[in-house]
Amino acid sequence: MTAKSAVALSVEAVSHSYRDLRALDDITLAIPAGEVTVLVGPSGCGKSTLLGILGGLIAPSQGRVLMEGPIADDCLNPLTYVFQDFALLPWRDVGGNVALGLEAAGLSRDARAARVAEVLALTGLGAFATAWPKQLSGGMRQRVGIARALAVHPAVLLMDEPLSALDAQTRALLLEEFSALITASGVTTVYVTHTLSEAALLGQQIVVLSRRPGRIRDIVRINRPLAGRRVGDSDLVAVEARLWGLIRDDAADAAREFADA
Amino acid sequence: MTLRRRALLAALAATPFAGPARAAAPIRLGVLRTVSPAPFYIAHSRGFFAAQGVEVEFKFFQAAQPIAAAAVAGDIDVGVTALTGGFFALAGKGELQVIGGGLHETKGFELTAVLASRQAYDAGLTTLDKLPGHSFGITQFGSSFHYMLGQLAAAKKFDIKSVTLRPLQQVPNMVAAVRSGQVDATMAIASMARPLEAAGEAKIIGWVGDYVPYQITALFATAPMIATRADDLQKFCRAYQAGVAAYRAAFLRFDAAGKPLYDAATDAAITDITKYVYTGDPAAASKIKAGIGWYDLGGALDVADVKAQLAWFAAEGLVKGPIDPDGIIDTRFLPTR
Amino acid sequence: MREVGFRGGGFAPRNLPFAGALTLVLVVASWQIAASLGWISTRFLPAPLAIIQALVGLAQSGELRLHLAASLSRLAWGWAAGTAAGLMVGFALGLFSLARTPGLAIVSALFPVPKIALVPLFIVWFGIGEGSKLVTLGFGVFFPTVINTLAGVDGVSRSLIRMGQSFGLSRTAILTKIVLPGALPAILAGFRITTATAIILLVAAEMIGAEYGIGAFVLSAGNLYDTDALLAGITVLSLLGLSISWAISRLERWLLAWR
Ligand SMILES: Nc1ncnc2c1ncn2[C@@H]1O[C@H](COP(=O)(O)OP(=O)(O)O)[C@@H](O)[C@H]1O
Ligand SMILES: [Mg+2]
Repeated sequence: MTAKSAVALSVEAVSHSYRDLRALDDITLAIPAGEVTVLVGPSGCGKSTLLGILGGLIAPSQGRVLMEGPIADDCLNPLTYVFQDFALLPWRDVGGNVALGLEAAGLSRDARAARVAEVLALTGLGAFATAWPKQLSGGMRQRVGIARALAVHPAVLLMDEPLSALDAQTRALLLEEFSALITASGVTTVYVTHTLSEAALLGQQIVVLSRRPGRIRDIVRINRPLAGRRVGDSDLVAVEARLWGLIRDDAADAAREFADA
Repeated sequence: MTLRRRALLAALAATPFAGPARAAAPIRLGVLRTVSPAPFYIAHSRGFFAAQGVEVEFKFFQAAQPIAAAAVAGDIDVGVTALTGGFFALAGKGELQVIGGGLHETKGFELTAVLASRQAYDAGLTTLDKLPGHSFGITQFGSSFHYMLGQLAAAKKFDIKSVTLRPLQQVPNMVAAVRSGQVDATMAIASMARPLEAAGEAKIIGWVGDYVPYQITALFATAPMIATRADDLQKFCRAYQAGVAAYRAAFLRFDAAGKPLYDAATDAAITDITKYVYTGDPAAASKIKAGIGWYDLGGALDVADVKAQLAWFAAEGLVKGPIDPDGIIDTRFLPTR
Repeated sequence: MREVGFRGGGFAPRNLPFAGALTLVLVVASWQIAASLGWISTRFLPAPLAIIQALVGLAQSGELRLHLAASLSRLAWGWAAGTAAGLMVGFALGLFSLARTPGLAIVSALFPVPKIALVPLFIVWFGIGEGSKLVTLGFGVFFPTVINTLAGVDGVSRSLIRMGQSFGLSRTAILTKIVLPGALPAILAGFRITTATAIILLVAAEMIGAEYGIGAFVLSAGNLYDTDALLAGITVLSLLGLSISWAISRLERWLLAWR
């Protein structure tokens, strides 16, 4: 799984409305193979909606999403999510949760066990295979979430604010691990966040969305490999400042709104 | 003490319209709202109780069993109810005393019929001695129906255990069950049984009255009533006897063929009775006539039969513990058969 | 200078394992002592020993076995039928928009109807045999099961279902691997209610035409004012309820170990 994923996505003129509410407006975007694309924007701007459309969980009102490039033979679920609220099944232990996607793909018991062991080792969960989710801290739960996603050898990893339910220290630790895992697997990744430092540390292409209805305001590129990026690197700090300049006014308006999804 | 009181009572009674010596509380009489307590209705309607100087307040019940329970709880002072296992159990605790007779089954007076379902009749259940092996609908274990079946079994010399008893709680359920063939046989009073047979929905295969002399209902009083108000009870019983006399004159006279003779006395009694039951019902007269049962002259109690009933309930295990029959019968107020 | 007084605490009741049994034993023992000393009349309230004697008598005569066997088989079949139907309808209402609103209307309309009031109808429709008894029990069990199952299905987090879809689980797999286990706690909690309901309805079910059965026995004892037997029967019903409740606790501990 060290070979870079060759699967790219292209979003063509996608718009989406929830009844009268226009959430996304005419989004056209290329998500290059083997890169990390970060979606940032004020809350309620449609990031989750766009991610749902990318993975086929939400049918867009207009437009379409195309998947290009060969899917590897061992890939069991090309478009795979990591969720903000972890979405672990509380009645399955860690191993059972990781095996869920493998069962859906009809893998044999032995093949499942092998893949589960592999990703648990990779994510540092080897000792927790038989623990119940309720026994784990938030950070450990999200490690299970990423292990479950990696177990199916995805072509595209879709991560929706995977760290926002965690405390700051756990977030910093996990971000480093994610960065390493993504680099190692070379999987095409779409990462949603509203934390600008995360965007700067992970993003190769950072897509800034404007406030509702979500439109692409700008795209910022960082042409430096993930490995070697550190908090406080001057180029990254500069990117953060630029991103903040782009979304500041929108964020202020969004904060004064009543409802948020 | 008793003798002196009796003498006093006699003196009081000899003085017509002596009126209440003191403002005594009314005697609360518990009855089923049916035709069966008719002599009490007549006595009340015609002022026989008032003439004796007692005030009577009727308390109506939907089922016979709660009447005895209400007496134990102190809600009524006297009552008319069926002599069931439950009644004997309560009386056996010393709370209730049987003081007089009510309805009787009497030979030739067709009151309670044994009904066979059409299917069972066609399959051979044509006489009472064929009841073994069949199902039989009753209200409850220890009810009058259970007892009557026991008496039929004794008369026809079969074991009551050879009949499958089906407790159905209510008489309408028994009738419905025999009509639909869900039980092979049951019992019903003539006014229900005859129309069923006429409509071909069931067959009458016998009359209880032909086999058993049977005291169906009795008049009872609570122990406190007897202990503290025996004189009032005495007056009450005299009025009741006058009611029975009027009832017999109205309904229990027969021609040579055994058909009841109805005349102006009958109509007058029906007018009295409709103040209490079938009020405003245009068919009241025929319904009342169909519900008439036998009352002995003077409201006499069949002491021997009451004892026999208690013995049967005890033998069947339906009444627990030794109950002294003399301890639950008080014959000072009304005559015996 | 003043020390800051403690004002938190409380509002956190704990389960004391043996306190329940101890309370029952103490109540029964003091009842017996009061009865033996003549403080309470045993004329219409038999003392515990008299009830135990009645129970022993019933057991020795073999009557208890007959009554229990009849009632247990009715409870088992009636409850199982009502539960199976209730689970199916509950899942249908929880999963299909077309079933939901009309089904809920019917369930809401019929749930509050006292099932005892329907016994005469059941007898006309199903006879005085086992049919009407099973239907009475099944009907009483059905509605709470539907309501609890529906609440359980509704309570399953939508994000878990979306997760299942995102991993390509089939509809059946989502049902068996996500919805069913997610609804299980509510369903098991419903079992507590429905088994108790079934025991309560046993007396109504055995009112008509039952020769044997604890409910029929209790009714008959009541009619005969045989207070010892009446309370013996009630004791059996209560013990039955306790054992079933215990069994459900074990089932919960086994099936819901993940909670
Ligand atoms: N299922 C839904 N039904 C109606 N409105 C929704 C739904 N999901 C999201 N929205 C609305 O659409 C907008 C975009 O939501 P979302 O994509 O979740 O934004 P983000 O993830 O950027 O915070 C928000 O205003 C939100 O309230
Ligand atoms: Mg979101």
